[in-house]
Amino acid sequence: MPLKQKVLIVEDEASIKSFMAAVLSANHYEVISASTGAQAYGMITSHCPDVVLLDLGLPDMDGLQIIRSVREWSHLPIIVVSARTHERDKVAALDLGADDYIVKPFGTSELLARIRTAIRHTRTREVSESVAQTGLFQSGGMVIDYDKHHVLIDGKDVHLTPNEYKLVALLGKYAGKVLTYDYLMRELWGPGVKGDNQILRVNMANIRRKIEKNPASPEYIFTEVGVGYRMADGD
Amino acid sequence: MPSPRLKKLRRLFPLSLRDCGITLLVLAGAALICTLLRFLDDGDVYVSMVFLLAVLVISRFTSGYLYGILASLLSVFGVNYVFTYPYFALNFTISGYPLTFISMLAASVLTSAMTTQGKERQRLQMESEREKTRSNLLRAVSHDLRTPLTSIVGSASAVLDNEGLLSPAEVRELLTGVREDAQWLIRMVENLLSITRIGGEPAALSKQPEAAEEVLAESARKFTKQFPGISLEVSAPRELLIVPMDAILIEQVLGNLMENAALHGKTTTHICLALARQGDTALFSVEDDGQGIPPEKLPLLFEGYLGDSGPGEADGKRSMGIGLSVCQTIIAAHGGCLTAQNLPQGARLQFTLPLEQEGWEE
Repeated sequence: MPLKQKVLIVEDEASIKSFMAAVLSANHYEVISASTGAQAYGMITSHCPDVVLLDLGLPDMDGLQIIRSVREWSHLPIIVVSARTHERDKVAALDLGADDYIVKPFGTSELLARIRTAIRHTRTREVSESVAQTGLFQSGGMVIDYDKHHVLIDGKDVHLTPNEYKLVALLGKYAGKVLTYDYLMRELWGPGVKGDNQILRVNMANIRRKIEKNPASPEYIFTEVGVGYRMADGD
Repeated sequence: MPSPRLKKLRRLFPLSLRDCGITLLVLAGAALICTLLRFLDDGDVYVSMVFLLAVLVISRFTSGYLYGILASLLSVFGVNYVFTYPYFALNFTISGYPLTFISMLAASVLTSAMTTQGKERQRLQMESEREKTRSNLLRAVSHDLRTPLTSIVGSASAVLDNEGLLSPAEVRELLTGVREDAQWLIRMVENLLSITRIGGEPAALSKQPEAAEEVLAESARKFTKQFPGISLEVSAPRELLIVPMDAILIEQVLGNLMENAALHGKTTTHICLALARQGDTALFSVEDDGQGIPPEKLPLLFEGYLGDSGPGEADGKRSMGIGLSVCQTIIAAHGGCLTAQNLPQGARLQFTLPLEQEGWEE
């Protein structure tokens, strides 16, 4: 029998906790839960869960603080659970090192998909970080060739500019994960860059016109409105 | 949180670059006129008149009292220093001088008071209008919430109270109903949240320049997930349209419009979601191939109380009014315009958003 993966649910609403726990146990995860930040921190250190589902609105502390302190010593995947209207919290959480977020109210299939993606990412993280950016990334008809620094669509080179390539390469490296506008701006244009991310939008619009069949209905790079961009998962 | 007293003080003595500019410009103009007039006439009687006029103009076109009073002080000293004998020296012993000073100050305060009162009245009127729309909406919504809640409670009790008596198929059917109703409620609550997000003043809207095609693509993706059975065609122009907007709200408008097309078109199988440039606005449109909008409902479509009086609507909870009046509120707050029309087959709802960041000032 394969070892069950352990999920820590940090949530103070009992009804939501019990529904998530029911869904996850039914899908063969081992579930532990905490309802305060202090309890959560204790369980992360003592139980070493495979993934944490973290609600940002906790009674005793700000959820962001947990992310900050966990990130000091661990790459443990953290999925933030947040309400729709708080994009700023989502962005802050992602910038602090959360792996993904899921918006309340969410469906069970979405929840399970996010957990699978997050766990898969930790598995591949060590590999992808040590090999830096070499090899190929493929998703559908798109191939990113990290050795030759070009992007192929259905086998044909789409001739991206250096900045466009850097943007696509970065999204490909973290495929399936949302990269925030701020993060992308900093990676591409340096830490001094401020506020206005129009230059990023323009670059992205150009990339879409090169790689997508219909830029208004993208297959490869998706927008998370108000948060950032996400590349489709690799094959 | 500033106290109400502080807020009032701020409203009466606001600081703004624009008003500073007006003040300086008008004063400079008055000084220029006086300098020019000096070539015609050696006297200085007209000087205080010209500056009095300047003070009036400033008090009228700036907000609050600050600039009028500042202008009258500056005028009094300026006039004394530059334009009256002895030139380029202060002399407050000229006869009648205190009178000039007092009349300028009085003119400025009176005009400022009148202007400020007028603006205050306008603000109150706008506020009461907004209050009215909001309470209408609230009434319509509470009415609409009752039906799905009743059905959720009913179905859940039926399943819990009749354990073992209901067949698995019946239980499944009841629970499916619960899920559908709850999802509908969620969307309704999201709509209400949007209204609170718009909140008081239109200026409170957090507009950011966004790539319109990205918002279009995101709403399309969510819609396809929700209604996989309906084919959706999305089109955007080659040119990138950057539109200042609150993207979350516009995404919701598009979602509402598409959902309405799917649910109320009844026979809808295909929806076209399109973006185009129209002059200096971006035009978003949603076209369906359903049954169209009943002509008698067209004029009241965005009013939000269709559910109450619509006897033709068998399932009252699915009244389309609220979603659409929320759309209308959101688009209006963006300075755009939402319209609906019937096509030979189906209906088209479209809205515009200004491309430039106009309307940021009052």
